[in-house]
Amino acid sequence: MTIPLTKPLRNWDPVVKLTHWSIVAAVLANGAFTEGGSWPHIWVGYALTGMLALRLLWGLVGPREARFSAFPPSLSRALAHIREIKAGKVHDQSSHNPLGALMVYAIWGTLGMIIASGIAMAGLPPKAVSHDRHAVQQVAPDHGEEREGEENPLGEAHEAAVNLLYVLIVLHLGGVIFETHRSGRGLVLAMLPGRR
Amino acid sequence: MQRAARSLEHKALILTLVLGCQALAATFFAIDVAGDIAEAGLGWHLSIELGATLALVGGVVLGAFHVRSLIERGRQDQALIAAARGAMGALIRARFAEWRLTTAEADVAIFAIKGLDVAEIAALRGSAQGTVRAQLTRIYAKAGTASHTGLIALFMDELIDPASTLAEQGEHG
Ligand code: HEM
Repeated sequence: MTIPLTKPLRNWDPVVKLTHWSIVAAVLANGAFTEGGSWPHIWVGYALTGMLALRLLWGLVGPREARFSAFPPSLSRALAHIREIKAGKVHDQSSHNPLGALMVYAIWGTLGMIIASGIAMAGLPPKAVSHDRHAVQQVAPDHGEEREGEENPLGEAHEAAVNLLYVLIVLHLGGVIFETHRSGRGLVLAMLPGRR
Repeated sequence: MQRAARSLEHKALILTLVLGCQALAATFFAIDVAGDIAEAGLGWHLSIELGATLALVGGVVLGAFHVRSLIERGRQDQALIAAARGAMGALIRARFAEWRLTTAEADVAIFAIKGLDVAEIAALRGSAQGTVRAQLTRIYAKAGTASHTGLIALFMDELIDPASTLAEQGEHG
């Protein structure tokens, strides 16, 4: 009969988990499976927008560790954190660590750029995916032209942002693996569904 | 164990899924309405659509607050239970020491306090029911009580203060 005085392991709330894995699924789907400019690509993009919007709302009203105020973007704190890593100090963190926080904002910002350029390219629904299916086709030719000429600045911005996102994702996974080894805590478990 | 906290967590999960669907719907409608308005200007039809979309967004925001409060109630429940457990454990250890229960008696007494009957305790400890019954008799004698309920009541009596408990409940209600 031990008295549980140790703090419970971190466990992200269901909203953070839902939005994280939906965003992962959407990025995977649009990066690997749907064709750029096709209507599934656009709908997946809108779904990603919805999930990101929900996460940002949650950053204002969610429980403490999910709020922006729990992981402010701060270079000085990130540098301090790097010094701690060098010194081999590990201390408990109820939210993202300062480096992770920078990564989170970078990913969100990049997703925002991808969404903005995507919507600008496809046009808002009446032009892109309106209720009549034939309108969808209007998007595809646009995209075709852009493929040939590679002149469309929006298309280039979209692709550049996507490439940046891929770099960030690799860094993100590297960070998760590194932090898991360093702190030896269930960092990934805390993000997986259905664990207490 | 901790059934209340679990069910709160379960509710929060379900509501999160609903909230996710609402957020998707709100996004689709918001983008759709923005496109329509950009195309056709803000007529009476689109004003209504815009109003409905804003209402949906408002619903998502309220839903988010609701999920947050469920999550926090679940956590509070768990913290309370953890604290109560710690205190209960300390109290039980103190009483058992005071009554000079043997290790075997202490084991049996714990199960009895948790509400198990003779057959269940015997099965758990792999001993004969007669043995458990004899142990219980000795435990009751040492604790100065006559029955199973009496033993449980000894702890409940010390833990629950009707005046403050009911007053707190009034505050909540
Ligand atoms: C498309 C790929 C991915 C993207 C865009 C992405 C994005 C993000 C974002 C934005 C956050 C911040 C979460 C929040 O506060 O809402 C985050 C956190 C996290 N992600 Fe990912 N993620 C991706 C893939 C993965 C994968 C595959 C894993 C699992 C191995 C993972 C594990 C985690 C963990 C453990 C955290 C929490 C980090 C912490 O505790 O500070 N992510 N991710």
